[in-house]
Amino acid sequence: MNNHQGISWLNDTQAILKFIHKLILELPELKDRLMDLNEGDLLFSQGDPLEHMYLILEGNITLTRTQPDESEVKLITLGPGSFAGLIAFTTGEPTLTSGRISQKGQALKMRPQQFEQYLNDHPRLKHPLQQLMLNNMIRRYKSNLRLQTRTHLLSKELNKERNDLKKAYAQLEQTHQMLVHQEKMATLGELVSGFAHEVNNPASALMRAAENLIEIYSKFESSHYSYKLFKLGLNAQPVDSNTQRERMLMIEKRYPWIHERSSVRKLAHMSDEALKLIDENRKKGEMDTLINHYEAGKMIHNIRIASNRIVNLVKSLKSYSRQDQNKEEYADIRDGIQDTILVLSNRLKFIDLDLKLHDIPRTCANVGDLNQVWTNIIVNACDAMKDQGALRISTESNDESILVRISDSGPGIPENILPRIFEPNFTTKNQGAEFGLGLGLAISSEIIGQAGGEIDVTNKTGGGAEFSISIPIRDDC
Amino acid sequence: MKTNSKDLVSILIGVIGFIIPFFLNIPGLSEAGHVALSIFIIAALFWMLEPVPIYATSIMVILLQVFFLSKQGVLFPEVTAEYSPDSYTEFMGTLANPIIILFLGGFVLADAAVKYDLDKNLTRILLKPFGSNPKFIILGLMVVTALLSAFMSNTATTAMMMTVILPIIAKTEASDPLRIGIALSIPFAANIGGIATPIGTPPNAVVIGALSNQGIDIAFTEWMILAGPLVVVVLFFTWLVILRMFKPETDTIPTDFEGKFQKNASAILVYVIFGATVLLWVTESLHGIGSSIIALIPVTVLALTGILDKDGIRQLPWEVLWLVAGGISLGISMESTGLAEWIITNIEWSIFSPVFMIIVFSLMAIVMSNFLSNTVSATLLIPLALSLATSGAAGEGFSLVLISLVIGVSASLAMMLPISTPPNAIAISTGTVKAKHMTRSGFVVGIFGLLMVTLYALFYWPIILN
Amino acid sequence: MDALVKDLENFEKIFPVETANDTTEAMNVIDYILDHGHKIGLVLCDHVLPGKNGVDLLIELQKDEATAKSKKVLVTGQAGHEDTILAINKADLDHYVAKPWTEQELQEVVRDQLTDYVIENEKNLLAYMQILDAEKLSEEMRKHKMTDH
Repeated sequence: MNNHQGISWLNDTQAILKFIHKLILELPELKDRLMDLNEGDLLFSQGDPLEHMYLILEGNITLTRTQPDESEVKLITLGPGSFAGLIAFTTGEPTLTSGRISQKGQALKMRPQQFEQYLNDHPRLKHPLQQLMLNNMIRRYKSNLRLQTRTHLLSKELNKERNDLKKAYAQLEQTHQMLVHQEKMATLGELVSGFAHEVNNPASALMRAAENLIEIYSKFESSHYSYKLFKLGLNAQPVDSNTQRERMLMIEKRYPWIHERSSVRKLAHMSDEALKLIDENRKKGEMDTLINHYEAGKMIHNIRIASNRIVNLVKSLKSYSRQDQNKEEYADIRDGIQDTILVLSNRLKFIDLDLKLHDIPRTCANVGDLNQVWTNIIVNACDAMKDQGALRISTESNDESILVRISDSGPGIPENILPRIFEPNFTTKNQGAEFGLGLGLAISSEIIGQAGGEIDVTNKTGGGAEFSISIPIRDDC
Repeated sequence: MKTNSKDLVSILIGVIGFIIPFFLNIPGLSEAGHVALSIFIIAALFWMLEPVPIYATSIMVILLQVFFLSKQGVLFPEVTAEYSPDSYTEFMGTLANPIIILFLGGFVLADAAVKYDLDKNLTRILLKPFGSNPKFIILGLMVVTALLSAFMSNTATTAMMMTVILPIIAKTEASDPLRIGIALSIPFAANIGGIATPIGTPPNAVVIGALSNQGIDIAFTEWMILAGPLVVVVLFFTWLVILRMFKPETDTIPTDFEGKFQKNASAILVYVIFGATVLLWVTESLHGIGSSIIALIPVTVLALTGILDKDGIRQLPWEVLWLVAGGISLGISMESTGLAEWIITNIEWSIFSPVFMIIVFSLMAIVMSNFLSNTVSATLLIPLALSLATSGAAGEGFSLVLISLVIGVSASLAMMLPISTPPNAIAISTGTVKAKHMTRSGFVVGIFGLLMVTLYALFYWPIILN
Repeated sequence: MDALVKDLENFEKIFPVETANDTTEAMNVIDYILDHGHKIGLVLCDHVLPGKNGVDLLIELQKDEATAKSKKVLVTGQAGHEDTILAINKADLDHYVAKPWTEQELQEVVRDQLTDYVIENEKNLLAYMQILDAEKLSEEMRKHKMTDH
């Protein structure tokens, strides 16, 4: 038996078909079984019980499967020599597929019983038919193998694509957050700007009123003791509570008839010169009145100082936020640093501030953005130091760039965290009142990057962290 | 013990005063009398100058008397012609004198009433009908205050009424004299009201105690009949004086008197006991049981039911009881040693008419109690008066009871100074009334009181007593 | 702090006011007062201070017998939840005034606290009738303190 190239008659569908054609011509019953296949005909529908089996003699039939979501998947196209409805035929179960004619031709349509009968009646049919069926099975099997391999490859590709998608999504998310953050800052900036404008007016009014009051007072006779006391109050220096206590004891001895403790306190705040004036004029004016002249001056002094402070804060706030323009300008970035410090003065209340802002050339920079960077670093430093310690800010330059250093006396940054500190979403503050998004340093890093500079952080040998920011000097704006 | 130099000087003076009679030999005064004089001097000085608390002086009096004057004391172990020494139990016993027990009952009742806000609620209920016209509100305040202080301590009544009037005062204009009127009405009414019953104020106790030592017992109701009308008249007059001197500028005061009586079992019990006791007191003539005996009932019942608990007992004003006891005790020694008599016999009293004497004693009582404690004033004066009466030196018609009443009542009419009585001090401390207001009005009331006491003593009291 | 002192002027007739800028100075002032035989009725304290913070100071004062009975009030805008709870539990905090305060609000709080202190620790309540809560003092006298004589 030669098995070298397989069993040749099994592979030779054409030969078998030819033989079947011959048989059809000979057997009228077979001829009856012939049917025409018109293109587009639906031979059978998925899920139907199949009563007939079809042997394709000419033409093509496409088997499709309908998915649960109503989409159709093309499975295979069978040509001459193929059996359609084979599985349903052999197992008796409803068809798994739908069969539609894709190329016209001819087919033998047989019922199972008829098939059996033919096989029994015409043993000559048996063989070819059986061969065909085997052929079909083999072909289907090969097709299956191919399909499986393809599926596997597709699956792998899909996984890879899915991972890529995940990464892309994560990046998108970060960018989104950054944008939101920027947006918030922008809104805040707008609010601050509006507020600053509003506050400016009453603050200026306050200052003017204070100055006017001083002028009015000065219209009184300048040699009169009341005006002199007023002037002394106007220039009063603050007195700390220890000195106040000492002076109060002195006052009690000097004026033992004064019972009102508040009067004693007010006198304790006066300079010796003022006390002398009071002594000289005590007969002419009641003690309380004399004290009140001094107090009037002191109060106006307070108004002046306070309204000045408001005006300065507003100026710094506006300058700090640079809300009016969001672009580059040719500026000395030390001004921005000073503004930032003033705006953060509440936070820096108990911090020792050491400023070494050496001369640096002007450069083109987005001052508002840079102020964000300083703010971020300084606030982080305050948090690390728990609002108590020393903060040192220095500026210097060389031919090419400006170098800003901000260092604190806090515990420093743990070595394992150091490399990740500029990553977005990296934060060590996630509990309680200290919630952070982890975006501050990331944004700062971006800003510096966009300015063409570099930002780096190290732990100093004496303890504490030091941020170094270098910004290239430009004059192209 | 916080002493300053003024106190030390006072103590020194007292001690010297105590020692002096030991070195004297006063004719007409028995030896015991000298000792009694020593005790009298140191007691009077200590009570007047107050280097030590007055109750301390009182207990010191008892000690000195037991030590020096009693049969078991060091000086007089035997009966002599001059002096038959009392047993020490006489002096110590004053601490449990029936009048003391009566007052104890009164205190216990008053404390229970305060604990369950009976006084507060009663006040608010009684004030409601007086409307919102300032004139009548003041009247209402005075009536209620007097009523309460007849049964409770004048001081506690005043403190409680402060909580009632302070909100009213807060709603009136600062310049309106109405404020002064309201603020003054309370202490005045409290002082006057205390005269109405035996338990109203400690000087009354001194009177009753001294009289009972002479064998004269005054029943609860009897006292009320004697003193009541006088209280009403003086109270009414005081109201008019206040209205006149401090004319209200406004027509209405918004008042908001809400009283909610406590309804729990203990409170109800207290209401019942209170009512029952007062009822028993005023019906003494019907059932014949002495008021001191009655007074034990509320004490017992309240103690048995736990309403009067250990802390409650501790918080009773025992110092007031000591004060009264000391006063009664001093009276005893002054009597039995003949000291009182000696003081009296140095003046030819019979030339003075009864009217004059009444006026004199009343005036002395009023003046003294304006500067000293009311009880002390009574304590110092009553033995003298008693002596006057028993010795007959003042002639017929100088009834013992009469003169004691005069002194006792007058001692409560001290309204002129912040220091005269604690109610006065409380009123001044609010800052709403100044001393000058008090002195002016207190003076007028005092004079009127003097007048009334005289009239009553001459016309009304003799009728009741006989 | 000047504003605070000015608001308390009326109380100075009977209750002198002393001030300090930080906790160390405060302890010195307190020692000074106690050494002179006076008592501390009320401590008003901010929270955010250089060095030791206000709550810690109040806790220390609570532990010391001499100042345990004094009334303690926090006046601040910047004490967080945890610190406030700590103050209530460990320092027996009597009241909390949030910044900014009105003069009236502050005076009411001070009057209340001093009245309570005086009732708990002083015998003669009459002297305080004009400056503190007269009604509350009267009620106290009615229930406990004063008798006839």
